Amino acid sequence: MIKLQSLWKQYQLDKELIFTALKNINLTLKDGEFSSIVGPSGSGKSTLMHIIGLLDKPSKGKVTIGDKDVSMLSDDEISSLRNEFVGFVFQQFNLIPKLTVLENIMMPAVYARKRLAFDPKEKALSLIKQFGLDGKENSFPNKISGGQQQRVAIARALIMEPKLILADEPTGNLDTKTGQGILDLLHKLHKTEHITVVVVTHDPIIAAKTERKIEIKDGEIL
Amino acid sequence: MNYILFILKSAIEDFSRNKGRTFLTSMGILIGVFAVVLLIAFGLGLKKYINDQFESLGTNLIRVIPGKILQGGSFRSGPSALGAIRFDEKDISRLQRLKSALYVVPVVSKSISVSIGKGSELGDLYASSADIFASLNLKSQYGDIFTRKEVEKRSKIVVIGPKIAEKLFGSADLALDKNVKIEGQTFKVMGVLEAKGGGGFGGPDLDSFVYMPYTTAQVFNPDKKFIAIIVKAKSDISVDQVKKEISDSLLKRYKKDDFSVIDQAELLSAIGSIFGIMNAVLIAIAAVSLIVGGIGIMNIMYVTVTERIKEIGIRRAIGARKTDILYQFLAESIALSILGGVMGLLLAYGVVLLIQKLFPAYIDTGSVALALGVSSLIGVLFGVFPAKKAADLSPIDAIRYE
Repeated sequence: MIKLQSLWKQYQLDKELIFTALKNINLTLKDGEFSSIVGPSGSGKSTLMHIIGLLDKPSKGKVTIGDKDVSMLSDDEISSLRNEFVGFVFQQFNLIPKLTVLENIMMPAVYARKRLAFDPKEKALSLIKQFGLDGKENSFPNKISGGQQQRVAIARALIMEPKLILADEPTGNLDTKTGQGILDLLHKLHKTEHITVVVVTHDPIIAAKTERKIEIKDGEIL
Repeated sequence: MNYILFILKSAIEDFSRNKGRTFLTSMGILIGVFAVVLLIAFGLGLKKYINDQFESLGTNLIRVIPGKILQGGSFRSGPSALGAIRFDEKDISRLQRLKSALYVVPVVSKSISVSIGKGSELGDLYASSADIFASLNLKSQYGDIFTRKEVEKRSKIVVIGPKIAEKLFGSADLALDKNVKIEGQTFKVMGVLEAKGGGGFGGPDLDSFVYMPYTTAQVFNPDKKFIAIIVKAKSDISVDQVKKEISDSLLKRYKKDDFSVIDQAELLSAIGSIFGIMNAVLIAIAAVSLIVGGIGIMNIMYVTVTERIKEIGIRRAIGARKTDILYQFLAESIALSILGGVMGLLLAYGVVLLIQKLFPAYIDTGSVALALGVSSLIGVLFGVFPAKKAADLSPIDAIRYE
């Protein structure tokens, strides 16, 4: 369970100009929920996702993951939590260009501090097979299609068996059909693996297909 | 995948993508390490060379010279360094009475020009007694060395080194029994010595000397004084003991500061310390290029970090800690620096191999350790700031960076 309480995010743009990205957000994400954060661009939905994903810190307010108050954790502990608890899927895929498909998928395991119950390479290969990427193990990201890259990104997000998948406009860079395939994959993972999934989107059609729709506008949840 | 392997692989992959840049950056370290290692190799070679030169004369050779030229193991200058006194026959006979002295020979030396017909060569006249040859381990190659007889008779003969013989006559054997003119006087070449090798770098070039009975040389040296006395100690007596006896004997006649009694080891260490200082200065100058190389690495690492901000963000998003990022970039700068170090070392090794026939320069294990140690240290010192910059980037700013 992820709980956000009285959360604010503000940016000091200038000496006297403060931009408020998030205003007094109170939100609880239950385990195993498939929700969407939906809103127009600039509404603060990405900022919200970054805070949920522990990439960013709120200016005010409290983030609790399970029973842990995130503000009490060190940078290393937060890194470990990102490593083990969260899997990110980005609009830009964000694969590392100089690493192969296999290496990209295995990378989170390299940064793992705990003893892994699985062999990262075997697991990566099984994800490659599961996502229809057979034969692309040793390809570099720029040699495969956008849809394939996004599936590699999802495989990378899944290798550490996270509780939470955060997808920021995961279909934004894909054509409708490929995008639909990615969404279907996320839905399937949610069903079979009982992973909590949060999709950030500006597309109401995508949002409509999720269990819970969190609408955000001008930094406030509607 | 092993963590360290993964980090190294990242570094090497980055190099292979930027081959030109990697090479140029490591070139700074390459040049620095090359220069330092080569200079150390030269220094070592020089030391060995000088050692060999003096050792061929025997360690139990003691020189008595006017003045105090050595002080505290190094050469000194000033009026008292050269001294005003000159030795004479009395000193020789006094020292010859010492039981510990095997040979006591006077030395008169003078720069001269030696001529045959039209050709003439510059050389050093070394006038002494017959025991000079035994004292300096010199043997004749052609003809004979002079003996007591020639000294007593003031024979107008010379024994010459093979180098000057070759210069004058084209071949050493042709010099025998020929006449040479020295300062307008004619002398007969009685013998040509075996080559002793060496010369230069403070070592005496015995092969270019013209040896003459000191009695004969009195035509150039009317006051019958000697500028030095060479004493060969008996081999079973310690050099220090002999030196003390010589000093005690001479102190009956001269003041303490009027003369010096120097053994080979002292002379060697004094010469060695001069070259040591010169070598150290050169190495220090060369080391500056290592710092310049380090700055080059630092510069390129800052560029690399900036180019890869997005990648740093991605790595942080999937769980890399600050230290993971720090190590990754540090590994890269160290690898870059060691790459330069190894190339510099190999290049220096190649040059040493090439010149070894001419000069006994060599690379010892200390130099190898120094080259690798210094280049890794430079990698750390100049890599840590860019790496720290990378590690301290905020994950969210980094991943949003375009």
